[in-house]
Amino acid sequence: MIKKWWLLLTVTFIALFLAACSYGGDEEADGAESGSDSSSGEAATGGSVSIPIVADPTFNPWHPNAYAESNVINRVIFDGLTKPGKDLIPSPDLAESWETSEDGLTWTFNLRDDVTWHDGEAFTADDVAFTFNEITLNEELGANSASYFGQVENVEVVDEHTVQFNLSSPVAALPAYLSFNTEIIPEHIFQGEDPWNLTSFNKENPVGTGPFKVKSYTSGQSVVLERYDDYFGDTAKLDEVEYKILPDANTHVAQLLSGELSIFALDDTSAVERIESAEGVDVNGRDTNRFFWLIVNQQQERFQDVKVRQAMEYALDRQNIIDTVLQGYGTIANAGITPALSEYYTDDVKQYEFDPEQAKTLLAEAGWEDTDGDGFVDKDGENFEIVFDIGIQGDLEAIAQLVQQYLIDVGIDVQLNTMDWNTMIDKVVIQRDYAMTLNWWRYPPDPDLKAYMHSDFADQGNNIPAYRSEEMDRLLDAGAETSDVEERKEIYDEAQKLMAEELPYMFLWYPQEVQVKRSNISGVPELAFGDTLHYIQEWYMEN
Amino acid sequence: MFRFILNRFGQSIILMFIVTVITFFLINLAPGGPTGVMRMDASPEERQAIVERLGLDEPVLVRYVQWVGNAVQGDLGTSFNSSEAVVDRIADRLPYTIELTVFTIIFSVIAGIILGVISALKRGKAADHVINFSSVIGLSVPSFWLGLMLILLFSVELGWLPSSGVGPRGADFDFAGWASHLAMPVLILSTTVLPNIVRFTRSSMLEVLSQNYIRTARSKGAKEFIVLYVHSLRNALIPIISIIGVLIPRLLSGAVITEAIFGWTGIGTLIIEAANGRDYPLIMGITVVITLVVIVSNLLVDIIYSQVDPRVKNMA
Repeated sequence: MIKKWWLLLTVTFIALFLAACSYGGDEEADGAESGSDSSSGEAATGGSVSIPIVADPTFNPWHPNAYAESNVINRVIFDGLTKPGKDLIPSPDLAESWETSEDGLTWTFNLRDDVTWHDGEAFTADDVAFTFNEITLNEELGANSASYFGQVENVEVVDEHTVQFNLSSPVAALPAYLSFNTEIIPEHIFQGEDPWNLTSFNKENPVGTGPFKVKSYTSGQSVVLERYDDYFGDTAKLDEVEYKILPDANTHVAQLLSGELSIFALDDTSAVERIESAEGVDVNGRDTNRFFWLIVNQQQERFQDVKVRQAMEYALDRQNIIDTVLQGYGTIANAGITPALSEYYTDDVKQYEFDPEQAKTLLAEAGWEDTDGDGFVDKDGENFEIVFDIGIQGDLEAIAQLVQQYLIDVGIDVQLNTMDWNTMIDKVVIQRDYAMTLNWWRYPPDPDLKAYMHSDFADQGNNIPAYRSEEMDRLLDAGAETSDVEERKEIYDEAQKLMAEELPYMFLWYPQEVQVKRSNISGVPELAFGDTLHYIQEWYMEN
Repeated sequence: MFRFILNRFGQSIILMFIVTVITFFLINLAPGGPTGVMRMDASPEERQAIVERLGLDEPVLVRYVQWVGNAVQGDLGTSFNSSEAVVDRIADRLPYTIELTVFTIIFSVIAGIILGVISALKRGKAADHVINFSSVIGLSVPSFWLGLMLILLFSVELGWLPSSGVGPRGADFDFAGWASHLAMPVLILSTTVLPNIVRFTRSSMLEVLSQNYIRTARSKGAKEFIVLYVHSLRNALIPIISIIGVLIPRLLSGAVITEAIFGWTGIGTLIIEAANGRDYPLIMGITVVITLVVIVSNLLVDIIYSQVDPRVKNMA
């Protein structure tokens, strides 16, 4: 009896130890054959996929508490007027076509006439007008994404299937904004209700127009969607989509490997190697509309000198950070428009090869030299000291440590100050009480970067580095108001050159999303995970 | 006994007051704010609208008084981040945490007493050393690491157990599915208390074995089996009851980590969500409920203890 006990204990510990050792090692076939046999790969209807989300969702795209975990559901159960095309150019969704007036101040959207809500009611122009006039443009509500529609004065119903957006100044990006977490919600349910406290909709039983509708939701566990057979487009091939609420990223990886999860974008790239070597799982890098940046607070005089910013850019071995921390999933950025926006992206801009000597030269030109031999550059008897604030999320801390080291190498005394995400937003974004930070932007599929670099937003808003340039303002204003694609290309070519030259942000890289997927799921377009969800009706299981 | 309970009740109210004051001011004075306000991409106007909506423009003291006023009437407010009643959110999740902790206590007490007795009887021998060593490992290895290793072994490599979730409930309930989902979380959560029970049983057992009445029992010719399991163990177990009271708070804090690893939808995952999102009403609600659970369970343990051991009956 006693011997058995300690035998069991010993065996358990040895087993655990072996499991620990084999982590990251070779992966043998672990019952993954179920779907990887592609020789008989034909489309079939039926089946379901599982997608992880990290928290309880809110089934209302405009709700201030609807974040990433809600977006991935809302864009499946609801529809917007437009959606990102497979080339990311806005393409029809609830609107079949649209046009802008000569002066760019009105946009007319022709809506589909064959759309029904999940409860059977017909979708009409009233729903669109209600969503925008009563929710988005109601300033007291503080709706998500409302800031994209600051120039929209109102939305007018022209007839049952036509709406008109009236603007105070031209917004060329309007169709792109309308494809980005701005889905239409039903007037017949929200009329007269407090849209944020209508929990019977937002938390229990939403009514959308999308290819799937909510079947069940258990707080903290899962949301199960089932196919909506009266969807206006091609009926979905899958029977069900399950979103599992799993807060821990390690669990996501374990469940992907065991086949309990189907597809998602991997946040923490440290597990990539292990997943790549597993059978039955595909790993793909996908371009996304994001860029990483390092910024210094240009309200401080020492950071207003462009040479200082250029010196910092030269000091960083960005390729090395991409190769080590990002496992190669990213390309060097020198401006803010991403390669995902292939129509507008250009690499014909100033390049900053890793060059610490050049960095030191530029610092010296700006008056920063090491006069006392302590290894740090100084000016007027003061060392160049910077406190580097970092919010803890994903790879940010690891990246920041490398950046810190590179800057110390050229003589800048950088001290890392890590804090939780929420605190970082308060300190950096709201109070603007910081010297240097590192983060990223994700933006709608349009090159309009006004919100991030225009001097209008330098004191409050998303121009966090407080960059001011009349030339940049002029270009960004022109780009935002011009609908003609050729004309816009020229404007944004020039803007990208100026960004690279002036470094409002010290651009780091365009990260690629690491998309992981069980091999037996097909029909997923080659887009970032979030964008593939607009095409979930095309997904299918291979037999 | 009645006076004892009344006395404890009075103490509990004061304790509850102190706990809520500290928690309320700590979370409100900490940097950051509710997630709706602290979005990276929210505009200043959006932030202002939400701050006003949530009443966060009022001074902290005013908000505390309002909160207490509502709380004593049983209204714990509305969650900032989900707009649902705090009471409902907690009621949704609490049963799962109770389930997890109750089974963990049962498992830990049974396994702990068995291992502790073995350890005491085989004092200084191999079995004793292995059990002691394992206890130290169990106490010192972080449970999140151990949990991940178990998932890798049993879910990923062997495919025996599901890696997360609480299993099918309601109409789809089946015993095997339920037990397999419960197994790893209970095992991991028990590492926070099992080693203490083992060591406590061992020392308690050793102490009893050296008592005069055991020598008397042996000398009058009682069988060794009777000596060990009737005379010794029964008396050795009395102090174990009191340690369970001490271990309940530890079990609840251990549940936070365990639930996060195994996607167990109890209070633990809820409090992480609430803390990360600075969901003040939800944090306060959970604090009140957990404080209540600890107070009540300690009271119960004390009452049971005084019933089992006549010597402490008059401690009130």
